[in-house]
Parts: sequence; structure tokens; C-alpha cells
Amino acid sequence: MNLPAFLMSRQNLDSDLFLHPTILTDQPVVLAGYNSQIDLPQTIALLRQMALNAASADKPPFDPSSGIGTPMNDPGEREILDAIAAGQMLIFSYAGDRCMKLVPVHRTLSRAIEAPTTENVLRGAISAFNEDLDTNIGLVKKHFSSEKLRLRSYALGGDQRRRTALLYMEGQIHEQLLQSIVRKIEALPDRDVPDLEALSDLLGFSKWTLITRYNTTELPQEAASALARGKAVLLLDRFPFALVLPSLVSDLFVSQSDRNFPVFFKFSFQVLRVLGVLTNVLLPGLYVALVSVNPEVLRIEIALSIAGSREGVPYPALVETLLLLLILELTLESTIRLPKTIGPTITMVGGIILGQAVVQANLVSNVLIIILAASTIANFTVIGFQNTTSLRLYKYLLLFLSAMFGVLGLFVGIVVICAYLGQVSTFGIPYLSRWKAGRRYG
Amino acid sequence: MDKSRQVIVMCLITHMGLIFFLYPADIIASLSVGQWSAVLFGFICHVSMVAVYTKGLSYCAPRNVIDLFQSAGNAFAFLALLPLAIYFVMMIIITVRAYAEIVTVIFLGNTPLWTIMLLFLAVSTLISSWGVESLFRTAMLVALLFFPFLILVIVLSFQNADWHYLLPLMDRKAASFSYVFHRPYLQSMFAFVGGFLFLGFIPSHVPYQRRKIVWFSFVLLPFFLISVYVPLLTFGENTASKFPFPFIMAVDTVDVSWLMFDRVTMFFMISLLCFVILFLALVKWEMLLLLRRALPAAKAPAVSVLLAVFVFIVCLLVPNWSAVEQMLWWNTYLRLYAAFVIPLVTFALGFSRRRKEAIES
Repeated sequence: MNLPAFLMSRQNLDSDLFLHPTILTDQPVVLAGYNSQIDLPQTIALLRQMALNAASADKPPFDPSSGIGTPMNDPGEREILDAIAAGQMLIFSYAGDRCMKLVPVHRTLSRAIEAPTTENVLRGAISAFNEDLDTNIGLVKKHFSSEKLRLRSYALGGDQRRRTALLYMEGQIHEQLLQSIVRKIEALPDRDVPDLEALSDLLGFSKWTLITRYNTTELPQEAASALARGKAVLLLDRFPFALVLPSLVSDLFVSQSDRNFPVFFKFSFQVLRVLGVLTNVLLPGLYVALVSVNPEVLRIEIALSIAGSREGVPYPALVETLLLLLILELTLESTIRLPKTIGPTITMVGGIILGQAVVQANLVSNVLIIILAASTIANFTVIGFQNTTSLRLYKYLLLFLSAMFGVLGLFVGIVVICAYLGQVSTFGIPYLSRWKAGRRYG
Repeated sequence: MDKSRQVIVMCLITHMGLIFFLYPADIIASLSVGQWSAVLFGFICHVSMVAVYTKGLSYCAPRNVIDLFQSAGNAFAFLALLPLAIYFVMMIIITVRAYAEIVTVIFLGNTPLWTIMLLFLAVSTLISSWGVESLFRTAMLVALLFFPFLILVIVLSFQNADWHYLLPLMDRKAASFSYVFHRPYLQSMFAFVGGFLFLGFIPSHVPYQRRKIVWFSFVLLPFFLISVYVPLLTFGENTASKFPFPFIMAVDTVDVSWLMFDRVTMFFMISLLCFVILFLALVKWEMLLLLRRALPAAKAPAVSVLLAVFVFIVCLLVPNWSAVEQMLWWNTYLRLYAAFVIPLVTFALGFSRRRKEAIES
């Protein structure tokens, strides 16, 4: 292959590609690589220094032992393109008969290690993952400095190679879990993994699941504690979260940073979270059941006061609740999209103005506003944003069952949810299992 | 990994669901004095049958009841298990129909009966289709959520107890056991049977310790006694015998001033109904195992749905409560067969198998 000609023609397609002629210890060479990835002046300075060192040891630059880059013997097109796409720099002679690749000085394209943006830590390490895979691996290693930490890395995908690292702790991890993950990943190395949906497809999870099979965490500390407990951690390049496999029901309630508090507080936080989940899921359904189907269950004073607050409300309780829930979901969704500076406006408009007006216009009852506000707040006691979304869904199942069958519907709904949770399993590890490293609890 | 805990919880839950509704009325109807002897006698039969059954199963360890019966010949297995299958189907029908009726009588007066039956059947079919392991896990979670609540209500149910009603402890009828072959008592066995037969169907990858099951059966005894004695202590025998659901009436008299709910019973009953749904799912699962062995060509989800549709149609054809009681009575012979013959045959087959293996080795 005529390397210079090939790269020239490539330059027409990729205006980002530079071909920079220079002289290296009296030898004219050409440097090639991507402008957007390589810091050229720094790299040239570094290269000069290396060339001088090589010359003083009487090694010509293209000699394998010169210490400048890795020689490539008659490389193919694919090899060349892969190397420059991976951010490496090519050095070749004018005629193109000799070539080597070099790890250059990269432009800084990742943000620095910062505090987490989706998880708050009160007490505990605050540094969070960022988009750079190697930084993330380094962070995990720093938090989990053990010689038993094992790492397997893969490049997944046909068109875009995405680097992926699988971390686990030797001797702790459930052997069957490790084998299943490795088998799934190695079976389809050419599948593109642009997002988590594709990843769960690759790992063989159903598309219709309501429970995320892997917990995502932004905190290296959480990833390290998961490793210590025998779980597997997947890191994807350009993805500032660690995926912890398998996810279990305890992940909703137990966080590693709780352990930085005295036991009593830790325990009470966990109880609060359980109560939060129950409140969030049950309250709207309970309201509908008690107002529209089984009012006799309530103490007469409370029943009368609720009936009084509903006076003038034109809809049945179910429609009333659904209307307000829809507005709440819209508020939630819009606060996520909006820039941080405008977010508080939504809180004010949605919470104060709308809440007040909707009651004064007799569209919904006071009690419902209280219940839905409490339920929404309770939703976020759960750990991990991905878990709150599935809880939001269960609420609707209970709501409809309650509207049809009253309190019976509510309880049957709980049984259905419990059964669903009981049925989910990840690589043979049930979602409801109590996790002990290396052993399986059902 | 030992799954004894899950099996025990499942066992407790299925019995709890059955105890509190029909059982107290039957026991109170069968004896006017010394009901404890009736409860105790039934319970001793129950525990001994559980012990015999699990012992028989432990002899033929990795196999389940169907394998065991088949090892004695296919024709034998078919003939011996057919009554059991009929019993299961009838039990599903009776349970669905009876509990739907209870629901409409007690708190969903305006809801049509068929929608409640449909709810029970749909949910139990769904759960049973996910398999027994997930059923066990569900039972654990449901028990964890509902049990503290049940215990609270049971404790509160003693609020209006008058302990004088406990006496007299014994009379001639109670001492002579003459009540045993009368209809109400035989009907009361409903609460015992069915709940433990699933032990024989558990696949071998869900191991459990049989001794633990037998010991933990004794946890049920207080509940059996409470279900009978709370209404007796609250109303006295004369009044309690007039109610169709004495325990529920007794709990309904409880007044808790610090609670925002007027009828705590409702939550109590509904929790028990949820246990009944799990029980239905369990029986459906056993039934499907039997059916699939008899008809290997049948596809699992289709059979499950067909069975549910069949049960639903039969339930719709049952006209009223007295018909339900009649069915409960007809089912008695099958129930006795399931309660006594199946465990004993299991034990005999297991024992002979064990001996044969001992001789061969």
C-alpha cells in the first residue's frame, strides 16, 4: 500500500487529519493524526527529545529498539485507520516504506474529576466518575486497592469501537455470574453499544422489564463496595457511570455511604427509605380506594372532612388523581430538561401558583394535593434515580386496581408487584435475594 | 442453598389464609363445649400427616410425588393421582367462588361477583405462570409486608374478650370425639389439607429440611385456637354460632381510638385474601404439574389459561352460597383422600423404595 497517497486521499474525507512534514534527526518524516485529538506542538517537542536520545545511543529513529513508538510492518488500511481513530499518531518516512505509531500528547477532552451531579454524598468520598474510561478505572482502583481486583477489557462494536471494562474481585464474585457476563459479551463482539438499551440487549435482558438489571452509580466508592461484596462492575468509555451487576432489591435502600454513620442512624435511614417507597406507591391508590369505593373504612370524622374538601369537585376520584399526577410528572420531566437557573421557576409556578389555583378552582381537593405532594417527595428517598422511575410506574397499577376494587384492589396490586419483583432475576440471581459474596441466596 | 425458610413461610401463609374465614364457624357448629379438643384433634392429624408425608418424600429424596407414584407404574400413578387432580380443581373452584362471595358480602357490595373472581383467577394465574421459586420469594415479601399488621390485629382482637366464656372446658361430646364424623367437622378439615400437599411437588433444586417444616407447623396451632376462641370469648357460644364468619365479626367489634381507620378488620381480611391468592397460585401450579405430566404435549401458558377459563366458567355457574357449601361437602371425600391416602401411600412407596435400594446395595 502506498501510505502517503492513501492518507492524502483520506484527508479529502477527513479534513481533521493532518499530515505534518518534519525532520527527525536529519531524516525527513511525516506525522499524521487527528488535530482534534492530538496536541501537535507538545507532541513534536516530545518526539524531538526522544529522537535526540535515540540518536545519542546510535539508534536510527525507525529502529524497533529506538524507543520512539511502535513500528508497524506493512500495515493495512484497517490497521492505519484504527490506530488514528484511537487517537494515536503515525510517523512515516517520505516514501512511506517505514511506519510506526506513537502515543502522542492528547488534547484534554474530558472534564476533571468532580463532585457527583446525580447522587449526593453527605459523608464519604465525593469524587465521581467522568467520561474517560481510564480515569474511571483508576478511580475504582484507588478506592479498591486490592491485588484481587481483576479487569477484563473489551472493544465492542462494528462501526464505532467502544471500550468496555469488566471489573470483579477474584474469589468473591459468584463464578456463574462472571461466566455468564463474559460469555454474553464475548459472543457478540461486533454489536454496537451506543447506549444502555443496546447493552442490556447484548447481555440478554428483556426489553420490557420494569426493573433495571444493573444499578448505575456515579460514585467510585459505591462501585468499590459492590466489588468487595462480589458483584461485577462494568465501565463504558464516555459513560460517567459504573454499571453494577446484578441489581438487587437492597440497592433501593442500602447505600455504602450510610456506613459512615453510626449504626442506629444507618438503620433508621433504611427504614425511612422503605417507608418512603411504601408511601409513594400506596398513598394515591389508598386515597382513590377510600374516597370512591370503601369510604366506610375511614373514621367518620375523617371521611366527612375529606368529603367536605371534595365538595364541588366535578370528577370521580380516579380522574382527579390522574390529572394531578400527570401535572406532577410533567413538572418532574421539565425540571430535568431545564437549565438549573430556570428550574426553581418551575417549582414556584408548579408548586405554589398551580397548586393554589387548582384547589381554588375546585378542580381537585385539598387532601389530594397533600397526598400527591407527600407521595412525590417520598419517591425520591430511594437510592438511584433509575429506581425512582420504576416506582413511578407501580403507582399507576395500584391506582387503577384501587379504582376498580377499592382496598382489595390496592392489596392485590401489592401482591402483583411483589410477584413481579419475585420473578425478576439477573443471570440466575433473583432480584429478591439477600446477597452474600460468592454464595447464592434465593 | 437451603430454602427451608421460604417453604415454611409458604406453608404458614397458605394456612393463615384458610383458617380465619370458614374454619371457626365449622368448629363452633360441630361442638358447643370444649372446642379446643376439636381444634387439637384436627391439628394433631394435620401434623402427623405432614410428618408422614415429608418422611415418605425424604426416602425418595430428589424425586417428587409424581415421580414416586409413576415409579410404581403409570396406571397406578394415573389412578392414584386422578382424585388428587380433581380435588385440586374443585378446591380452586370452591376457594375462588367462596372468597369472592365473602368479599362481596363484607365490603364490596356494589362490585359484581364475576369481576372479583376474575381478579383472583387472573392474579393467581399470572403468579403461578412465573414458577414456584418466584412464588416462594413473593410469599416471603408478602409475609414481610403483611405479617406485622396481622399480628397487631390479632392482638387487638382480644380487646372485648370475656374469659368466663372459656368454661366449661369439656363435656361428654367433646370427650367422646363423636363430633369427628359429622359434617361441620369434616368440612373444617378444609383449613388443614391442601396447604401442605405442595411439599411433595417442590422440585429438587429447591431443597428444604423436612424436620423444620414439621416443627414450624406447630406455629400454626395458636392461630387455629385464636380463630375459634376469639369469637367465643367475645360473643359466647350461643351468639358466635349464629354468624357465618365469627372471627371477622369478633374483630369488627374492636375499636381503636388512636387509628384513623374505623374498620381495621378490612385490612386484616384483605391481607388474608392476598394469602389466599398465593394459595390459589400454589394449587394452580401443582395442578399444572399434574396436567403436564399427564399430557406432555400441552404447552404451559395455554394450559394455565385454559384451566383458569374453565374454573371461571364453573364459578359463574355456581348460583349461591348454599351451593358453595354443598360443593364443600361433596369435596369432603376427596379431601380425606388427599389428606390421608396420599401421605400414607407416599410413605409406603418411599419406604419400600428405600428398602429395595438397601437390599440392592
